[in-house]
Amino acid sequence: MMNLPIPDDITKILFVLVLATAALIVTVRTLTSLLNIYSIQSWFIAAVAFVLYLKNGSVVLLLLAILTVASKAFMVPYVMRRIQKSMHLKRDLEFRYLTPIGSILVGTAMIFLVYWSFSKFLPELSSDELFIFGAVIGVSLALMGMMVIFTRKRMITKILGYLTMENGVLLFSLFIAELPFIIELLIVIDLVMLIVLATVLAFGIDSSIDEFHTKLNSFTMWFKE
Amino acid sequence: MMNLLFICGLCVFLGITLAQMIFAAGGSAVTRRFSLWAMLGANLLFLAFSLIIVLRNTTFSYDLYQLSDTLRFSFSVDRLAAYFMMIISLVSAAVCLYSLGYIEHQGSDTGKNFLVATMSLFILSMLLLVAADNTFCLLFFWETMSLTSFFMVLFEREKADTRKSAMFYFVMTQMSTTFLMFAFIAIYHVTGSFDITAVTGVSPFLKAVIFLSLFIGFGIKAGVMPFHKWLPYAHSASPSNISALMSGVMIKVAIYGLVRYLVFVLSPDRWWGVMILIFGTFSALLGVIYALKEHDIKKLLAYHSIENIGIILIGIGLYLIFQSYGFTDLAMLALIGSLFHTLNHALFKSLLFLTTGSVVNETGTRNIEKMGGLIKVMPYTGVLFLIGSISIAALPPFNGFVSELMIFQAFLQSSIISNPFLKILLFLGLSLFALTSALAAACFVKAFGIIFLATPRSEEAKKAKEVSWYMIAGPAVIAALCMLLGIFSFQLFSSQGFILPIPNMMFIGLTLVVTLGLVWLLMRMISNRTTRTSETWGCGITSQNSKMEYTASGFSEPILTIFRPIYRTRKNVERTYHDGGKSIFKDGTAEIQTFKLFEERIYLPVAHFVLRLSTYVSNLHDVDLDTYILYSFGAVVILILAIGWLV
Amino acid sequence: MLNTAFIVLISPLFVSLIKKVKAFTQGRQGPPLLQTYYILVKLLKKERVYSNNTSLIIRITPYINVVCVIVASLFVPVVYIPGLFAGFGNVILFLYLLVCAKFFMALAGLDAGSTFGGMGSSREMTFSAVIEPVIIIVFAALGLLLKTTNLYEMFAMSLKSSLLINPSTLLISLSLFIILIVESSRIPVDNPETHLELTMIHETMLLEYSGPDLAMMEMAHAVKQTLLMAVLINVLFPWGLTAAPDVLTIAISLTAFIAKAAILAVAVGIFESLFAKSRLFRLPNLFMLAFFFSFSTILFELLK
Repeated sequence: MMNLPIPDDITKILFVLVLATAALIVTVRTLTSLLNIYSIQSWFIAAVAFVLYLKNGSVVLLLLAILTVASKAFMVPYVMRRIQKSMHLKRDLEFRYLTPIGSILVGTAMIFLVYWSFSKFLPELSSDELFIFGAVIGVSLALMGMMVIFTRKRMITKILGYLTMENGVLLFSLFIAELPFIIELLIVIDLVMLIVLATVLAFGIDSSIDEFHTKLNSFTMWFKE
Repeated sequence: MMNLLFICGLCVFLGITLAQMIFAAGGSAVTRRFSLWAMLGANLLFLAFSLIIVLRNTTFSYDLYQLSDTLRFSFSVDRLAAYFMMIISLVSAAVCLYSLGYIEHQGSDTGKNFLVATMSLFILSMLLLVAADNTFCLLFFWETMSLTSFFMVLFEREKADTRKSAMFYFVMTQMSTTFLMFAFIAIYHVTGSFDITAVTGVSPFLKAVIFLSLFIGFGIKAGVMPFHKWLPYAHSASPSNISALMSGVMIKVAIYGLVRYLVFVLSPDRWWGVMILIFGTFSALLGVIYALKEHDIKKLLAYHSIENIGIILIGIGLYLIFQSYGFTDLAMLALIGSLFHTLNHALFKSLLFLTTGSVVNETGTRNIEKMGGLIKVMPYTGVLFLIGSISIAALPPFNGFVSELMIFQAFLQSSIISNPFLKILLFLGLSLFALTSALAAACFVKAFGIIFLATPRSEEAKKAKEVSWYMIAGPAVIAALCMLLGIFSFQLFSSQGFILPIPNMMFIGLTLVVTLGLVWLLMRMISNRTTRTSETWGCGITSQNSKMEYTASGFSEPILTIFRPIYRTRKNVERTYHDGGKSIFKDGTAEIQTFKLFEERIYLPVAHFVLRLSTYVSNLHDVDLDTYILYSFGAVVILILAIGWLV
Repeated sequence: MLNTAFIVLISPLFVSLIKKVKAFTQGRQGPPLLQTYYILVKLLKKERVYSNNTSLIIRITPYINVVCVIVASLFVPVVYIPGLFAGFGNVILFLYLLVCAKFFMALAGLDAGSTFGGMGSSREMTFSAVIEPVIIIVFAALGLLLKTTNLYEMFAMSLKSSLLINPSTLLISLSLFIILIVESSRIPVDNPETHLELTMIHETMLLEYSGPDLAMMEMAHAVKQTLLMAVLINVLFPWGLTAAPDVLTIAISLTAFIAKAAILAVAVGIFESLFAKSRLFRLPNLFMLAFFFSFSTILFELLK
C-alpha cells in the first residue's frame, strides 16, 4: 500500500525500542517502573502490528493491534496497579542465579544465538528481511521473559516476566501471518499461566519463593487435624 | 665491518665473564666498575651492529664453530633478529649504566662479582640466541640464559622466599625447554635438518602438535596465562636491575621465537590466530586485574608484564587471522603494532623496574603502603617513574600509545572479515582490550600516586634521599627514548617503508606544545599570579598526618568490588562466645584469602600428581638385590620379544 | 581552529543552561544563564593557594587538562568539517587525549594527601575503566555504520546520508547519551552541584584547586561536556554542518549547533531531575545497559 522502505524502517526502529524495554525489564527493580515499561512495550508491539496492517492490509492485524492496546496497555497494567496499592512491596531486590549484569550479557548472547540458528533455516521460508528480524526479536523477547522468571524471587515480577514472554510470542507470530496459529500458540502459553495463577491464589501475590515452604507446611497442619 | 663489531662484542662479553669469575673471591669495586663499563661498551657495539642491519635491511651470517656433522654454532641475523638484538642491547646498555650505581648497594663482594659475571653471560646468551641459525644453537643459548638467570634470581639466597621463587622459576624454565626440544625434534624429523628455515609439506596433525608445543614452550617463558605463575615470584625476588633485564628483555626473546616460527618457518592456520588471540586477551585482562590488588611494587610490575605480553599476543593473533584471509595490509599493521609494542614495553618496563629499584633501595621496603611523598625528596626518580607510567598507561604522545593505537586500528578495521562469529569475537576482544588499557591506567595512578605523592607513610620513607647519578642516568636515557619514539613514530615507520594509517604524532606533539605555550601566556596575562601555600583542607581537622591519606588498598577497593567474581576473596570468620545464646563475644579469628585460581586449581594438583608419581617410581628403586635381578631378567625378556617381533 | 574557538566560548553557556533547567524543575528561578562566565572571571582574579603536601603535579595538571581538552576539540567538527590533516580526527587519539586529562586529574587528586582527593581519584579511575569498553564499542559500531574511524569523515558521511531512520543510530545515540552522562559527571553517576560525600567522583578531585587553576579545570570540564554533546548531535542530526568555509554557511552552522545543543542540554537537565544519584555499585548496571545497546548495534549490522 504505502511506499515500502518507510514502514520497514519504522518497524525496525520499533523492534529496537522493544529490545530496549526488554533489557530494562531484566534489570529494573522498582515495581511501578516495571509495570510502566511493560505497558510501553505493549504499545510498541501494537504499533508494530498497526504498521504491518498498513503495509499488508489484512484486517486481522488491525484487530490484533487494537486488542493488544486494550488488554495489555490498559487493562493489565490497571489491574496490576490496583493490586500493587494493596501490597506492601515496592521493590524486588533479590536476584537468583544471575545478577543484572549477568542477565544482560546472557541476553545479548541469546540474541546472537537465536539469530545464528534461525539464519540457518528461515531464509528458505521467506526472504523478507523484516520477517527474519521479527522472528529473532520475538524469540529473544520470549527468552528474556523466561530469564526474568527464573532470576527473580517475587511472584509479581515472575508474572511480569511471563507477560513479557507472551508479548514475545505475539511479536513472533505477527510475522507468521496465520491467525489460527497465533491463537493456538497463545492458548498453549495460557496453560502455563493457569498453574502460575493457581500458585498465586494459594499463596498470595506478594509472596516470594522462599515463603512457599513455610506456607505449605501450615496447609498440611490444617489437613492433619 | 660488521664482522668486526660482532666478534668484538662477543669477545668483550666473554672476557668480562671470565675476568669476574676469576676475581670472584677478591675483586674490588674498581674491577667491577671497569667490567660494567666494558659491558656497556659491548652493548653499544651490538647496538650499532643491529641498527645497521635494521636500517639498511641487510643480513649477516657467521659460522663460529662446527661441533659435529650436524651440530654447529652459526649465526645469521636478518631484520627481525636484528630488531630484537637492538632491543636487547639497548635495554642492557641502560641497565649497565644503572648497575654502576646500584650494584654497590647489594650483598657481599663475592656476590657482586658473581652477579656481574652472570649478568654479562646472560646478556651474551640472549644476543646469541636471537642470532642463532639452527635449533641446536638456539637451545644451547636458551639453556645458558635460563641457568644464568636462575643464579641471578638466587642472589639474595638467605631468604626462604627467594629460594622458593628461584626453584619455581627453574622448574618452569626446564619445562619450557622440554616443550621446545620436543617441537624442534619433531621438525627435525620432518625436514631432516636443524636449520631455522621454512618448513612445508607437514601433515595438519603434526603441524598442530608442533605449533602447540612451540606455543607452550615459548609461552611459559613469556609468561602467558596460564603458564605465568613463576613471573611475579621470580621478578620480585631478584635484584632490580636483573628484574629489569628479565622482564624487559628475556620475555621478549620468547616472543622472538614465537614470531620467527609463525612468520618464517610454519604456515599458520586460522585457528592458531584465534587461539593466540584468546590466550592474549585472557592474559592481558587477568594480568591487569591481578596487578590491581598487589601492594608489592615489583609483583605489580611483574603482573603488568604479563598484561603487556597478552597485548603483544593479541597483535600476533590478529596478524595471523588477517593473514589467513589475505588482508596483508591489516596483517602488517597488526604485526608491526605488536613488534613495536615489544620494543616499547622493553623500554618502559625496564624504566619502571630501574626507578623502582632506586625507590626500594632508599626506603628498604617493597610495600607501597609504606612509601609516600617521595617525589619531593627524589624528584628525578619521580619524574622518570612518571614518564614510565604515562607510557605504560598508553597516553599520547608517548610510545605506549602509538603501539596500542596500531592494535586498536587493526581491531576497528576488522569488520571486513566475513565470518560473523569471528567478527563478534574480535569486537569482544576489542572491548576487553579497551578495558585492560583503562585498568592499567588506573593501576598506575595508584602506583605513582601512593609511592610518590602526598606525605610519607613511614619512617623509612621520610629518610629517603635522591640516588646516585648513575642510577638516574640509566633510566633517563630510556625515558628520553620513550618520548622520542612516540613523537617521531610516524616518521620512523615511513622512513623504513611502512606507510601505516596512524596519526602523525609529531604534529600532535607540536600542537600540544604550542597550545600549552599559548594557554600559559594567556594565563599569565589575564589571571592573578600570586600563590601561597597552606594546609590541605581536612574538613575542619587542623593537624593532618599521613594516616589520613588514601591507602593503596583503599584506592583499588572499588575495582576489587566490581570484579569480585574474579577475585573470590574468601572471608573466614570464627567467633567463640561466652554464653549459649551467642551474645557475649569472647574471642575470634578472621581470615581473608584471595582465591589464587591458578595456584590452587592447576599448579598444585599437577605438582602433587607429579610428586606422587615420582615417589612411586623412587620406591621401585629401593629394593634388594634379588628384585634388581628380576628387573634385569624382565628387561632381557622384553628385548628378545621385541627383536623377534620387529625383525 | 574555528571549531575550537567556538566551543571554548560556548561551553559555559550550556553548563548554566543545564543548571537553569534543573532549577526550574525544582521550582526555583535558578542562576542567570551567563553565571558560569561570571564565575570563571571571578576565579581568574583570585590568588592560588597550594597545599604544603603537594608537588609539581598539582601545579601542572590544570594546564595539561586544558591543553588536552583543547587539542581534543580540534578533532570534533562542530561548525565546519576541515579536510583530513596528518591524522587529526582519529577517534582513538581523541578518546585517549580525554583519558590523559583524566589521568593527570586523578594523580593531582592524590597529591594533596587528603582523603577526599584519594576517594575521588579511586572512583574516577574505576568508572573510567568500566565505561571504557562501552565507549570503544560505541565508536566501533559508529565506525562499522559509517565505514571509517576518522571523526571528520564520520561526520561528512552522516551529512551525506540521512541516518535518522536507521535503527542502529537510535541504539548508538542511547549509548552515547549514557556515556555523556558518565563523562560529564551528571546524576545518576555523580552530582555536580555539591563537593562532598554524595558526589565523591569528579568534584572532589577539584577540592584543592583555587583561583585561576580552578577556572581552568572548570573550563576543561565544560569543554569536554560540549565535545561529547557535539559528537552525539552531529552523528544524529548533522543538518547545518558544512564542509565549506563560507561566512553564510558558517553562520547558519553556528546557530544550528547552538539550537541543537540547547535542546540536548535541556534534555540532560530533565533527565538529571528525573533520577536520584544511584548507589555507587549499581552504576555498572547502567554501564551494562549502554554496553547492551551498542553491542546490539553491532549484532544488527550483522543481520543485514
